[in-house]
Amino acid sequence: MTVKGRHWVALWLAFVLATLVWVQSRQTSSLLLAGELRELREDRAAFESEKADQSGRVRSFRSRSVLIPRAESLGLRLPVDSEIVFLEFFGGRR
Amino acid sequence: MATIRVRLGAIQAALWIGILLVWGRAAQLQLIDGDRHREQARSQRTELVDLPAPRGGIYDRNGVPLALTQEVFHIGIAPNELNDDRNTQAEINRYIEAVATNLALPHRDVARAVSGSRYAYFHGPFSSAQVRPLAGIPGVHPEGEYSRFHPDADLARSLIGFPESPGRPASGLERSLDTLLQGVSGSAVVLRDRSGRRYESPSRLDAFPIRGSDVYLTIDADLQEIVESALLDALVEYEATSGDVVVMAPATGEILALASLTGDGTAQATVLTNPYEPGSTAKLFVAAALIEHGLVSATDSVWGEDGEYTHAGRTIRDVTKMGWGTLSDVIQLSSNIGIVKFTERLSSSHQYQVLRDFGFGTPSGVEYPSESRGILRRPSEWSGFSRASLAMGYEFAVTPIQLASAYSAIANDGVLLRPTLVRAVRNSAGDLIYQHRPRPVRRVVRSEVAALLREMLVGVVYREGTRSLAALTSYEIAGKTGTSRRVGPNGYIAGAYTASFASIFPASDPQLVTVIKLVDPRGTYGSVTAAPVTRSVIEQALATPTGALDRRRLTRGVSDEVPGEPRSVWEGSVNRYDWPRVTGVQDRDTVALVPQVAGKSMREAASMLHERGLRVVVDGWGRVNGTVPAAGDTVAIGTLVRLRTSGGAPR
Repeated sequence: MTVKGRHWVALWLAFVLATLVWVQSRQTSSLLLAGELRELREDRAAFESEKADQSGRVRSFRSRSVLIPRAESLGLRLPVDSEIVFLEFFGGRR
Repeated sequence: MATIRVRLGAIQAALWIGILLVWGRAAQLQLIDGDRHREQARSQRTELVDLPAPRGGIYDRNGVPLALTQEVFHIGIAPNELNDDRNTQAEINRYIEAVATNLALPHRDVARAVSGSRYAYFHGPFSSAQVRPLAGIPGVHPEGEYSRFHPDADLARSLIGFPESPGRPASGLERSLDTLLQGVSGSAVVLRDRSGRRYESPSRLDAFPIRGSDVYLTIDADLQEIVESALLDALVEYEATSGDVVVMAPATGEILALASLTGDGTAQATVLTNPYEPGSTAKLFVAAALIEHGLVSATDSVWGEDGEYTHAGRTIRDVTKMGWGTLSDVIQLSSNIGIVKFTERLSSSHQYQVLRDFGFGTPSGVEYPSESRGILRRPSEWSGFSRASLAMGYEFAVTPIQLASAYSAIANDGVLLRPTLVRAVRNSAGDLIYQHRPRPVRRVVRSEVAALLREMLVGVVYREGTRSLAALTSYEIAGKTGTSRRVGPNGYIAGAYTASFASIFPASDPQLVTVIKLVDPRGTYGSVTAAPVTRSVIEQALATPTGALDRRRLTRGVSDEVPGEPRSVWEGSVNRYDWPRVTGVQDRDTVALVPQVAGKSMREAASMLHERGLRVVVDGWGRVNGTVPAAGDTVAIGTLVRLRTSGGAPR
C-alpha cells in the first residue's frame, strides 16, 4: 500500500496530538505535585509548631520554678553541699 | 473596459498594500518588538515572589532550644467568595463556625466579617495547627510569615534579645549573630490567573530559601535557671535594686550562665554593659603584680595601723582591724591599709599594666553588642591618691564579665582567655561550621603565681574566725568579697553600695568562676549578701544534673586507678581542652614571631598580637599598615609592638 499525502498528514496530526497530551499530563502532574509539596510544607510547619509548643511545655514542666515548689509541698528540700557526694563508679574506667 | 481593468488593478493594489501592512505589522510585533511583548505577556501571567528563609535557632550548650522560628499565619476573608451562589446558607454557617472555633475568635466577629462586603483581616498570629483545618474553605486566605518563638520566655531573655522587626531594632545575641541566623531568601515564579490568584509551579523555582544557621550557646539552661532564680531570691531577700551574676568555665572561657535583673524582676544586660568600681575584689590584682615581679615575699609584713591610716592627705579605714600582716593576711582580711602600703612597692606603670593585662579597660570581646570596655585611666591621668584608690578597687570600673574573666585567668593557671557565648554553629544542612576553641589573650602571671593567689582566696573563705558565708563543707571554694561605694552624677552617693563576690570552685581543680554583684543590698557588705548567693548557686548546681559541672572531677572514694598510670585531668572532661598546657600561649622566657597584620582592622591586629603574648601600642587610627618590629621578626614575649595605621599619627 502506498502511503499517500493524507496519511502523512494524519500521522503528523497524531504525533502532534500525542505530544500535546504528554505535555499536558506533565503540567498537570507538576501542578498536583506542587499542591502536594505545599501540603507537605504545611504539615511540616504544623509539626514544627507543635514540636516547639511541646518543647516549651516540657521545659516548663521540668523547670525549677515548677519542680521545687512541688517537691517542697511533698516535704522535700534541696540538699546542702555536705549532703552531696559523688562517688566514682567502681570499674567505670573505660 | 479600460475602466474595469483600472478598477481591478486598484483593488488588487489595495489588497496587496493591505497584505503588506499586515505582514509589516506582524513582523514589527514578532521580530522587532517580540521580546518586549513576550516579557509583557509573561509578566501578566506569572509573578516573581520572594521566599523568605526561616531564621536559625538558638540553643543552649546541650541543645535545649532557647529561640526558634515557626511559621504563623494571618487570615484574610473575602466575603464575596464565601457568599458565592454555590454555597448554601447552611454551608456558610458551618464555615463561620469552623473559622471562629479554630482561630478562637468571637463567632459574632467572624459572622460580621462574612456578611460585610469588604475583605476582612484577622491579624492573629495563628499557628499552623489552627489554620490547617480551614484549608478548603472558600474565601479564607491564610498569609504565612515566620515568627520568633521562645520555648521558655523568661530564660536568658535580655541576653538573647530579639531580631529586627518593624519599629523595633534588633537586640542582644539576635543582633550580634544576625548574619549567621538570618539565612538566604529564595525566589520562585508562580503562575497567575486573570483574577490574580497564584498557582504554584515547581518547575519555575528560581532559588530555594536557605535556612539560617543554628547557634549553640555556651549557656547551660539548667545553670542559667538556677542563677536567675538565685539572683531574684537575693534581690528580694536583700532588697537590692538590681544585681548581676556571671558563671564561667575558666579552662575554656565559656560563659555558662549570665543574668542581670532589677528588683522587680526586669531582665537587663548590665552584666555586660554597666561597669562599676569593683572594690576589694580588685585587691588580688595588686597582689598578683607584687608576686609576679618578686616585690614581696611570703613573710613580708606591713603594719595595719589599728584600722586607720592617712595617705596622700586622705584617711583610709579598715572594717576588720589588722596588726602586722603579710600579703596573704591583707587579702584575707581585705585590709585597705595593708594593700595601700604594699602597693607602694609597685611602680605606676606596673600597677597599670597588671590591670590592663587582666583585661580591664578593654572590651572582653564577648559576642554581645554594646559591651562596655570599662574605665581604666592611664597613669599620666592619675592623681596622687590614684594608686591607693586603684589598689582598693576604686578609680577604675569593670563589668562583671571582665571581673569573671580576670578571676578565670587566675583559675586557669595565669592564662587569660577570651570569654565567649558561642559554642558551636551548624549550617542548615546540620554541618558543624564553627566550634569554639579556647582563645588565649595573654599569659598574665606565671602558673605558680596563680596557684599562690588561689591559696590566698581559699584563705579568704576559710580563715579561722572569719569563715565566709560562701564556705562549702565538702568542696573548697576560693573567693574574694568586695564592697564599694556607688557613684552618682554628683560623686559618691551617701549610703549606696555595690556588694560583690568573685569565686573559684572548686579551688583545687577549678570548674566554675562566679561573680555576683548586688546593688544597694540591705546588709551592705558582699560577705553577708553576695557570698551566700554564690553558695546557693553552687549547691544547686551540685544538686542538678547540669552539664556545666564535670562530676568525675568531683568524685571521691573508690577509684580503679592503675598504679603508676596517673589519669589525665582532661579525660572525660566536658569543659577542658588540651590547650593551653600543650600548645598556644608561651611563657615569658620564650619568644614569638611578629605576625603579618597589614590590612587588618586595629582590633583584629591587636587580638592577633595579644594571642602571641605581645603587647600593643597604636600609632594613629584606621587600617593597620604594618608593625614595628616588622612582621616575621622574632621578639621576646611581652615585647611592645607598635601598630602603624593608615590614619597616620593621632590627632
